[in-house]
Amino acid sequence: MSAGSWKERLGDAVPETLAQEIDVFEEQIARKKSGRMDEKLFAETRLRRGAYGQRYDNGLRNDGRGQRRLAFPSDATKGVDTVFDAPGMQRIKNPYGLVTADQMEVMAECAEEYADRILHVTTRQDIQLHFVHVEDTPDMHRRLASGGSTTREACGNSVRNITACVYAGVCSSQSFDVTPYAEAAKEFLLGHPDVQDFGRKFKIAFSGCHDEPCGLVTFHDLGAVAKVREVDGAWKRGFELVVGGGLGAVPVEAKVLTEFCPEEELLPLTQAVCRVFARLGEKQSRARARIKFLVQKTGIEEFRRLVAEERALLRPDPRWTAYLENLSGQDVAGVRPAGPLPEDVSPDFARWAATNLRPQAQEGYFAATVTCPLGDFTADQARGFAALMRRYTGDKSCRLAVDQNVVFRWLSGADAPAFYARLQELGVADHGAGTLLEPTSCPGTDTCKLGIASSRGLTGELRRRLRVLDDAIDPDVKKLRIKASGCFNSCSQHHVADLGFMGVARNVGGRKVPHFNVVLGGQWTQNAGSYGQVVGAVPSKNVPDAVKVITDAYLAEREDEESFQAFVRRVGKGHVKKLLRPLMKPPSYEESPDHYRDWRDPREFGIGDLGVGECAGEVVPWVEYGLQTAEQELDAAQAHDEAGRFADASRAAFGSMITAARALLEHLEVQVRKDPEDVVEKFRTHLHETKLFHDPFAKGKFATYLLAMRASGRFEADAAELAHRNLDEANLFLEAAHAAYARLTAAAIAAGKRPSEVAARDLGSPEAPAPSPAE
Amino acid sequence: MTTFTNPLETTMTTTSLDRAERVQLKLFATPGAPDAPALIPVFHEWISDGSLETDELLIDVADYSHVKAGPGVLLIGHGADWSYDLEEERPGLLFSRKRAFAGDFRARLEDALRQALRAAGVLALDPRLPGLAFDARELLVRVPDRLHAPNDDASFAALVPHIVGAVRAVLGEDVGVRVSRVAKERSDVATGPLAARVVLEGAPAIARAQA
Ligand code: HEM
Ligand code: SF4
Repeated sequence: MSAGSWKERLGDAVPETLAQEIDVFEEQIARKKSGRMDEKLFAETRLRRGAYGQRYDNGLRNDGRGQRRLAFPSDATKGVDTVFDAPGMQRIKNPYGLVTADQMEVMAECAEEYADRILHVTTRQDIQLHFVHVEDTPDMHRRLASGGSTTREACGNSVRNITACVYAGVCSSQSFDVTPYAEAAKEFLLGHPDVQDFGRKFKIAFSGCHDEPCGLVTFHDLGAVAKVREVDGAWKRGFELVVGGGLGAVPVEAKVLTEFCPEEELLPLTQAVCRVFARLGEKQSRARARIKFLVQKTGIEEFRRLVAEERALLRPDPRWTAYLENLSGQDVAGVRPAGPLPEDVSPDFARWAATNLRPQAQEGYFAATVTCPLGDFTADQARGFAALMRRYTGDKSCRLAVDQNVVFRWLSGADAPAFYARLQELGVADHGAGTLLEPTSCPGTDTCKLGIASSRGLTGELRRRLRVLDDAIDPDVKKLRIKASGCFNSCSQHHVADLGFMGVARNVGGRKVPHFNVVLGGQWTQNAGSYGQVVGAVPSKNVPDAVKVITDAYLAEREDEESFQAFVRRVGKGHVKKLLRPLMKPPSYEESPDHYRDWRDPREFGIGDLGVGECAGEVVPWVEYGLQTAEQELDAAQAHDEAGRFADASRAAFGSMITAARALLEHLEVQVRKDPEDVVEKFRTHLHETKLFHDPFAKGKFATYLLAMRASGRFEADAAELAHRNLDEANLFLEAAHAAYARLTAAAIAAGKRPSEVAARDLGSPEAPAPSPAE
Repeated sequence: MTTFTNPLETTMTTTSLDRAERVQLKLFATPGAPDAPALIPVFHEWISDGSLETDELLIDVADYSHVKAGPGVLLIGHGADWSYDLEEERPGLLFSRKRAFAGDFRARLEDALRQALRAAGVLALDPRLPGLAFDARELLVRVPDRLHAPNDDASFAALVPHIVGAVRAVLGEDVGVRVSRVAKERSDVATGPLAARVVLEGAPAIARAQA
């Protein structure tokens, strides 16, 4: 006889506090279903439990012929505009990527019973399950909790999964193992009262050293880089702390909060930072609520002062240092005897080992990376992983990597061939981890509500083609990394890829065409040392050709041992753009309807919103001409910047925004002069205040770039940093102008109105609705 | 002429199989079946055209064709999914009942078989999928519900008569049915969900099947 419910069956196996929370959540779900709980409150609760929304959960979907209402059985909702019955996503937190054998098995069971049998590794070392029904989540949370996993605060305005290098503890270039510190920070902060009142999410990352890529601290809200320093003749452990980094629309590099924070100050300083953020961070405008905006507003000097002041006021907490008594990591030794790799191995193994095995600091042990295509693996494979851990590497030896793979540490060289043979049986023995062959992708339009273009479709296709070429690819090109995001939120971390892609939509002859902005030369090393440069947008279907053009140019034109980053910097965006120009314009619909669909999706891209209308003429409408002119002006600004003429760059960037704004105003039949004053004023009244320029997600953010640049006089700035900011903002403003034009056109056609008669309420973009509170 | 490979069939234990909402049923494709991405436009069209006769709400298409032995390409619905499944690296049509079905386990299983046969029939006739046919001699049944159907002898014994009954009700009373438990390949690997392999004799061909 089996027990009647998971709650009964698992009993004490679920830690008591979690058990109670899950019971409450279950009760809230029931109340929400019967309409007895507030919409926003429930959404925040749900997100804090890691149960996210997913695309089409507003109950609308464009099936390629038009927008259709999905007839879910109940009218109940689980958040604003979120249908109760719609499938959602469950995020499971794995601090610093650690997954034990037991956790692997429980997640496999959940994937099988509540989702689609796939476990997906995210770019922040989490696992996601997709197509989950909200009513299944309490039992799933109980089962996960019984295996030692939590979904708590995996989403929402809270401290997200704390990440760290996958090689922490086994790496030869680390200062020391950051694992116990990351663990202590997680324990200390989870549910801590000082982190409950954030206006936005807060992401922390640890890195064991400064130069290697694994920790990626520079784009985190708070980053800690391990450092050892001589103090009074003794070696002392501590961290360089950086704060206020972030990707998203405008990537920002974190600023140094302190060069050396002794280990015993790590938690109190972190707590002080959290308190300052909770107290002074923006709460009203979500778009400006991340800590990076606070740091920008106060300046790093003042921010440091605020943190020091807050630190001085903190009441001492024994947890700050208790963990220092016992600093052992999680998996600090192998379970099998160390040994060298056998000499006589198969060619397949040798090829796999070349990219997927990395020697550990501990002689005779290796960290083995198992490539998971697009971050995906099956429930069966997960069970296989658990068995591999128990047999070869120890049951705490797995870590999920930010490039969406699974890393097994403590593999004895002597066992490696047998380990590899088992991977072959499991169907996960692909070589090429961390190379061009294995691109990284965010969920994109597959499941993300904010997705514009299909990043997974694109990376799936790139992966397929590149793996066919494989040995024909030059080794220096193979070393490069590709990352693709479905929109400007940058979840794939494409800013730090050699070849980054970011989904955008463009209007061509009255139809929408999926495009990717090409972002080149981001730096993965030195903890994501610098961000890539935006070169311009290429139709999605031309991206594989663009990859070829760019990498061919690198091979043909590089100087000596020049790295790809150095090459991009030397030749400049202008040069790369020239090479890409023939690929930038999609063929007409008649020539190639395929360009008007996304990868692995036969639906006409956005045609449900657009219809076929009078815009599909031969003549380029004036507004499109104006937007193209603006693009050219922005190119010129870029050229000024590269030549070190920063004041010219600022002026030209501002000029391009003025041109784009004027084009849109004239499209709306607004009388406007050429001078910036008039354009900015008319833009404010006719496009910003009317919300016609509003982005469905970022709202007025991009419009304010223009207004603020004008008001502050920053358009004349001659400092490099300000000029770069002007360029970035101009880029996004132009992007937003293209999007606004596309929305206006669509709405005008749908409503049978002239563009000048369209009002904000006619717009709406049901496939990318504003997310619920904390998404 | 039924043979059960499992001797426990006579010693029926009480299990709560009847409360298991989830049940999956796979029909295997014959050799020469197309690659999974070919199914993407077909499933999208089923959503937009309603070309699959079903009362289920169809929502979206998910593509996992890049995963070896994975779930392939799925047509995601509210109560059920259909997929061109690649498990065991043997493509086939998998119908997966998730929720929202009134009736007992036996009825769910019967419905799963009918739904799978109907979908397979439509696929086999689709000109965009040359070479796709289904083998009418083998089925896979799986119950991914470890609470009500733990993967043990008792659950398997309870499952067998349901399978035999459902197959005969749908395919004909004189169809030969042999059911065996899908064994665990390796002792060190945790068990998957309760699953049964079903060998049929004399079942009517599924459209274009070579049975
Ligand atoms: C439901 C789908 C998702 C939504 C609505 C969403 C939303 C966002 C937003 C709005 C940002 C920009 C945040 C900001 O800087 O203010 C962002 C950044 C980011 N998201 Fe997502 N995201 C989604 C899925 C994901 C997934 C699946 C991952 C992978 C774990 C992910 C990882 C990241 C990362 C790494 C960043 C940028 C780095 C950072 O700022 O820390 N997101 N996301
Ligand atoms: S980058 Fe955009 S599309 Fe991709 S997951 Fe993030 S929010 Fe979604």
